[in-house]
Amino acid sequence: MLLALDTSADITVALVSADGTAALAARRVPEQRRHAELLSPLVAEVLRDAGTDRRAVTAVVVGTGPAPFTGLRAGLVTARTLAFALGVPVHGVCSLAALAAQAFGDRAAEPGDDVVVLTDARRREVYHARYAARTEAPGALALRHGPGVARPADLVASGALAHAVVVGPGAVLHADDVAGLPGGPDRGPQHVDPVVLARLALARAELGVGQPVEPLYLRRPDVMPAGGRRRATG
Amino acid sequence: MTSASYAVPMRDSALVLGIETSCDETGVALVRATADASELLVDAVASSVDEHARFGGIIPEIASRAHLESFVPTLQRALAEADVTLADVDAIAVTAGPGLVGPLTVGAAAAKALAVALDKPLYGVNHVIGHAVVDELVHGLFPDRCLALVVSGGHTSLLLVEDAVTGVTELGHTLDDAAGEAFDKVGRLLGLPYPGGPHIDRLAREGDPTAIRFPRGLTAAKDQAKHADDFSFSGLKTAVARWVEAKQDAGEEIPLADVAASFAASVADVLTAKTIAACRRHGVDTLVVGGGFSANSQLRDLLAERCAHAGIELRIPPIRYCTDNGAMIAALGAAVVRRGLPASPLDLAVDSSMPLTQVLVGSPAA
Ligand SMILES: [Zn+2]
Repeated sequence: MLLALDTSADITVALVSADGTAALAARRVPEQRRHAELLSPLVAEVLRDAGTDRRAVTAVVVGTGPAPFTGLRAGLVTARTLAFALGVPVHGVCSLAALAAQAFGDRAAEPGDDVVVLTDARRREVYHARYAARTEAPGALALRHGPGVARPADLVASGALAHAVVVGPGAVLHADDVAGLPGGPDRGPQHVDPVVLARLALARAELGVGQPVEPLYLRRPDVMPAGGRRRATG
Repeated sequence: MTSASYAVPMRDSALVLGIETSCDETGVALVRATADASELLVDAVASSVDEHARFGGIIPEIASRAHLESFVPTLQRALAEADVTLADVDAIAVTAGPGLVGPLTVGAAAAKALAVALDKPLYGVNHVIGHAVVDELVHGLFPDRCLALVVSGGHTSLLLVEDAVTGVTELGHTLDDAAGEAFDKVGRLLGLPYPGGPHIDRLAREGDPTAIRFPRGLTAAKDQAKHADDFSFSGLKTAVARWVEAKQDAGEEIPLADVAASFAASVADVLTAKTIAACRRHGVDTLVVGGGFSANSQLRDLLAERCAHAGIELRIPPIRYCTDNGAMIAALGAAVVRRGLPASPLDLAVDSSMPLTQVLVGSPAA
């Protein structure tokens, strides 16, 4: 049984069957700011809902973003600490990969397509990454480009979205920029599904791919360098 | 969404894990609480202070990123050094505020994860009160009544403590800069590296503290009436700036050691005089001093001298207990557990300006 969580946008938690096929219990709260407050209570709730002991968890899977800083960190420190305390491994999966896998799963994209996932990076920018389905390893994805952070218009101009199905909440938010590109009016999946996150982690473990639990901040910290000796008078 | 609001059964003892991340130190400590003592088993700290030095101040986002990377390794180190496992832990205490929101959030999220994974109660506690209560690890549990002076880069507060958890009253605080903050600002003014406090302290030992008579904030008769237990250091900082700039404008060399010593003398004099006066006024004969600025040597010397003269028992823990660390939070957690208070809700929010009237999240503010 895997515990999967993502805090790259809203807060989502699920207990997932060991084969990655089904959610035993799940919660999603459309809350963009209170990740550190609500995440652990949600974990406690899914454990209670599933009627399972927390010691039955065999691995923790966490979305590593990209995302604004504070909420992402709450998810990662929670996942790392839970895994350490439960004595189980923790796997990091790029949150954009989950949305891409969901697009293939929902048939928003077909097996031969490339998918570009766009999510809201605020400051009028989007996080982006481009994937193809990996036919030789069902459930796994091939990363073609990214993840990165950019203005939507610059992405279009760079050709990064060419010949791809463009999905995700960033594509809805910046509909004008991506108008005319494939992806349908709904722009595919809008929320990370923690079951898919867990499934990707299992598929990648099968392939022997490392799954570091490192945050994808993609932006440097804002700093206010202080001056040297300054006059306080006149 | 609240965790089980039960008290930790004290039995013979309870093992309390303390987590502190309000600024740039990631602290994890273990304290064993018995009915009549709190014993420190281990105090592990990781610091990101070097990453901030070139910016001349703490950058919250850099501190937050460092807390994420340091938390589990610091926890592992604490457990290994104390030779205990997480299964031995009876309660988790974490700084809920005051402090920097981003850094506080990392520690709170980690503490909650531990509370869920271990199925143990969580206590969100006040950092500033922790700076006072940490002394219980060194000098034993507090007496029925004492005064506490908490002085650091962020705080200058005078507290009447009739119970370390349920009976804390703030008598006064700084109206502008904290004592440590004034040191950092004057350090910058004198061209010393950040943080300025230790540099001024070192320089001051080579200077004459009576060389320049800098003002003593809020000690005039009119201020005593309204602000008997309050402090102010921004006027002093401006006075130092004016004096230094007058010398510069006159093309004279600045006697840095004398400026540092005279400035530090003013700060130590005001803190000590007002605190001892408050002890007298409130009929208290024990003074507890905590916070990073209590490492200042002039303050320590003057407090020792004047408390001895006034017949006040002075309790200042060694310097390693005065800086931000997990021990202060574990010590306060131990005091909470000893009183059998209910756990904080699992959905507690950190509070960057947590009032001193609130020692524990979930307890009614006085
Ligand atoms: Zn402090």
